[in-house]
Amino acid sequence: MHGTVSGANPGSGSGTFSSLPLVLRLALRELRSGLRGFGIFLACIALGVAAIAGVSSVSRALTEGLAREGRTLLGGDLSFRLIHREATPAEIATLEDWGTVSLVATLRGMANADTGAALVEIKAVDAAYPVAGDLVTEPPMAPAEIFAEADGVFGAAVDPVLLGRLDLEIGDTIRIGTQDIALRTVLRSEPDKIQAGFDFGPRLLVSRAALDSTGLVQPGSLVRFTYRLDLAGPANDDALLARAQAAIEAEQPQAGWRVRSRLNADPGLERNIERFAQFLTLVGLTALIVGGVGVANAVRGFVDRKRESIATIKSLGAPGGRVVAIYLTQVMLIAGIGIAIGLAFGAALPFALAAALGAILPIPIAPTLAPVELLLAALYGLLTALAFSLAPLGRAHDIQVSGLFRDQIDPDRRWPRRRYMAGVALAIVALLALSVFAAFDRRVALIFIGAAAAAFVLLRVVATGLMALARRLPRPRAAAPRLALANVHRPGALTPSLVLSLGLGITLLVTLAVIDGNMRRQLTERLPDAAPSFFFVDIPSSEIDGFTDFLRAQAPESEIQRVPMLRGRLVSLGGVPVEEIAADPDAAWVLDGDRGITYEAEMPEGSEIVAGAWWGESPTENLVSFDDELAAGLGLSIGDAVVVNVLGRDIAATIANFRRVEWESLGINFVMVFSPNTFAGAPHAHIATLTLPDDAATEEAEVALLREAARTYPMVTSVRVKDALEAVNAVVEQLVLAIRGASSIAVAASVLVLAGALAAGHRARLYDAVVLKTLGATRGKLVGAYALEYGLLGLATAVVGFVAGALAGWVIVTRIMNLEFAMVWAGPIAAAAIAIVVTVGFGLLGTWRILSQKPAPYLRTL
Amino acid sequence: MSGKSIVLENVELSLGRGPARVHILKGVSLGVERGEAIGLVGPSGSGKSTLLMTMAGLERPDAGRVTIEGEELTAMDEDALARFRGRRIGIVFQSFHLVPTMTALENVALPLELAGAGDAFDRASAELRAVGLGERLSHYPAQLSGGEQQRVAIARALAPDPAILVADEPTGNLDETTGGSIVDLLFALKRERGATLVLVTHDTGLARACDRMIRLRSGRIEADADAAAA
Repeated sequence: MHGTVSGANPGSGSGTFSSLPLVLRLALRELRSGLRGFGIFLACIALGVAAIAGVSSVSRALTEGLAREGRTLLGGDLSFRLIHREATPAEIATLEDWGTVSLVATLRGMANADTGAALVEIKAVDAAYPVAGDLVTEPPMAPAEIFAEADGVFGAAVDPVLLGRLDLEIGDTIRIGTQDIALRTVLRSEPDKIQAGFDFGPRLLVSRAALDSTGLVQPGSLVRFTYRLDLAGPANDDALLARAQAAIEAEQPQAGWRVRSRLNADPGLERNIERFAQFLTLVGLTALIVGGVGVANAVRGFVDRKRESIATIKSLGAPGGRVVAIYLTQVMLIAGIGIAIGLAFGAALPFALAAALGAILPIPIAPTLAPVELLLAALYGLLTALAFSLAPLGRAHDIQVSGLFRDQIDPDRRWPRRRYMAGVALAIVALLALSVFAAFDRRVALIFIGAAAAAFVLLRVVATGLMALARRLPRPRAAAPRLALANVHRPGALTPSLVLSLGLGITLLVTLAVIDGNMRRQLTERLPDAAPSFFFVDIPSSEIDGFTDFLRAQAPESEIQRVPMLRGRLVSLGGVPVEEIAADPDAAWVLDGDRGITYEAEMPEGSEIVAGAWWGESPTENLVSFDDELAAGLGLSIGDAVVVNVLGRDIAATIANFRRVEWESLGINFVMVFSPNTFAGAPHAHIATLTLPDDAATEEAEVALLREAARTYPMVTSVRVKDALEAVNAVVEQLVLAIRGASSIAVAASVLVLAGALAAGHRARLYDAVVLKTLGATRGKLVGAYALEYGLLGLATAVVGFVAGALAGWVIVTRIMNLEFAMVWAGPIAAAAIAIVVTVGFGLLGTWRILSQKPAPYLRTL
Repeated sequence: MSGKSIVLENVELSLGRGPARVHILKGVSLGVERGEAIGLVGPSGSGKSTLLMTMAGLERPDAGRVTIEGEELTAMDEDALARFRGRRIGIVFQSFHLVPTMTALENVALPLELAGAGDAFDRASAELRAVGLGERLSHYPAQLSGGEQQRVAIARALAPDPAILVADEPTGNLDETTGGSIVDLLFALKRERGATLVLVTHDTGLARACDRMIRLRSGRIEADADAAAA
């Protein structure tokens, strides 16, 4: 037995760990040999734990930020949002009983300039703005100065994007509706920005008086009036907050406003953060599981290296179980180091993010040590280490002491004893239970687990199959291919660990490439033929016919669709208030905020009745048609009552039918379509779409039409579908970037495992190379043989990984994202090709050094 | 010193699987008195190391009975055998087999710790002093010479006060002078403790130092005689 250990611990004192339990004591002594051989093990565990800890810590920092900055984001302690209408004097009086009230109105409109027209997100504020936080402009200006009227022209702060889009400068004037607006300063940050939700256009910040004089606020136009209440009384008094909210809601039950408090400023965003964090956690878990293969390989190598020590300890009276306990403790202590490194990185991530990007992040971030999240990440690491190291460690139980007396030719290939396999099963079950229990969406977690298990089994079967095939193939005459083939199936071959690590990496890369490709295709390339070119919103009822004629004159070949459009909030479904409904996560968004609704005598295009029947010509009761998938997610049945609040009135209707809606057609459609009698006499605007024939849908034609529509009908908001999709695409790009970032960790883990597996096979390669060189093999021949071996394994694994990844991508695209699937080839093929190159490259890199050496010095040590 | 320390009755043992299976011990019967020293000699492959391992409970015979200090090994399960070994049998290997991550003191204390002895380190320290390594307690195996390593191995084998001491070519990895001093030490300590000693060796001179010399050939006892007469 050889080996040098530094740091002597003389005597029978503390250096011998004599006061600790025996197993721990011996494990600590064994650790003195350092962490040699555990590099990949540590990196795999640290990487996976860092990914999970990092994601959950950042998510926690963001939700914490939302909670801490609730008042700033909300613009007060409580906010009450109405759509289409302003609050009544009685409603305002109720609010004012509790504190100071300020108002913000938001809507979309068209900015007209000599240089063109563009959609803008208008925000009109009163003199109190901003109640909390700071409005940052460049050059810095006081709100009163920005918004002041001079010679009939109001001022505005403007998002620099609009300046670029319309080729304008600060000091220029644009026209909104019928009002000229001077662009006085560049808007850098609004404290309550997050409340704006998804933006299709750049922000234009004006005064309430300016908005009123634009003429855009008409009955039925899509204006959101948000009243912010700054409570009178001590700051941060949560009891007062709850009391005020309850009292106001009780006093104005019919208001139909959406109420938010500073403690719950944006539940939708919070939910999305949690959902996204879960997805990224699963990607982190993939990294950990891929790394698990590296853990298993490292532990197998460790047990092999420790055979003599294990046999010696057994010869001195330690039963097999105790030996396993000693080495398991040692491995877990090392895993603990990896976990600690991972946790340190993960915990530091939100602090690093806040320091580097805090100022430009659109969401407030409050970095904090998240003990529960870190504990969870540590548990994931511990269970993975246990699940992957117990089986190879279990083999130590049966290492024969007789090996100390004679060379063991036959390495023990039996399965570890049942108790260790039971331990593995327990650790896996605990790992699965933890990932499902901690999941935001358990269905997604279960799909992930199923996919991971299937990938493992598949790759294991492929490895066994490859080895069996290589064994049965006729022996080639030439030495190089014969050696390559033998290396694929010989005892202790790299095949199983290489196929597993490389296969998991390729599967993951291909899955991501398929998802990525499908998302992009869905958003950009795959615009349905019948997709409209424009949406026109807020067309006043009095102008709808004139506007339609205008469109026909501008684009005579186009198809025009128009429907009435109102906005309303769901109050209750089937008699249950929406706050109490436990909705499926995919359908919960319907209950949140206001929804576009319409009424129709005829069933809208792109719909199909799947239950119930469409109403007759003149229904006598209020009826509603509901989207069937969402109805299922909300647990609705035909005949259930639906209550919506529109313009401050609760309106009840009975579900008459469920429709399957083809949302992808991008035609006008609504979750809820009411019978015409339901909204008879209610003031409302219209929404219209215009579909240009293919040959006319050019960039120039669309821009010209947009400009003309904005000039002739300044009240009507025009949304060019291509622009809107670009805006969506930009958001998706960012999400994809985050997913790629997290996934690259999983891919890095797979490369690590691959490198580890190749390094473990290094000694066998060295032996082969030296013996063959001695017998006259040239370096070229050897390189050829190894390249062939790695190439064969890489290719076979790439094919399997490609198929498995495409399959996983198909499941995610069609079952989780509910999108139409089309195979994309370029990305996945590139991923698989890179994987083969990496394998062959890594493999040859390791052997090239050996091949360059003279055999004699090695022969002496072999 | 009376009664049998080791009794082997018709022990049969084969190793390997399938076509590679080799019949190593063929009906070996043997009795060793308490305190006796026997030398096992024979050519390579004659089965002497396997016989030694069978006596130490490291190999389980396919047939026959092995009784050590009145306890039948063939009836014990794996864990019971390990504990029995820790308590009753001390092993000295040709390649020393010290645990490289442990100091000399820890190596010697190891069997005592495994047996749950509370004074493991005090006893280990005394054992090391007895083999002349009182100044080397905190040295790791790599910091010791071959002879010193074998002394540590002897101290470790003797620390639990075993009834039987088995040694496999204890001088095989040492030069002649060092080997000689190790043999002297081994026999002196054996005498002092009253332990039974089973020694496998190629060196007939060393075998003659024992009370009895048993010669094996092809898995059978070819000769069993008083060492002085052999």
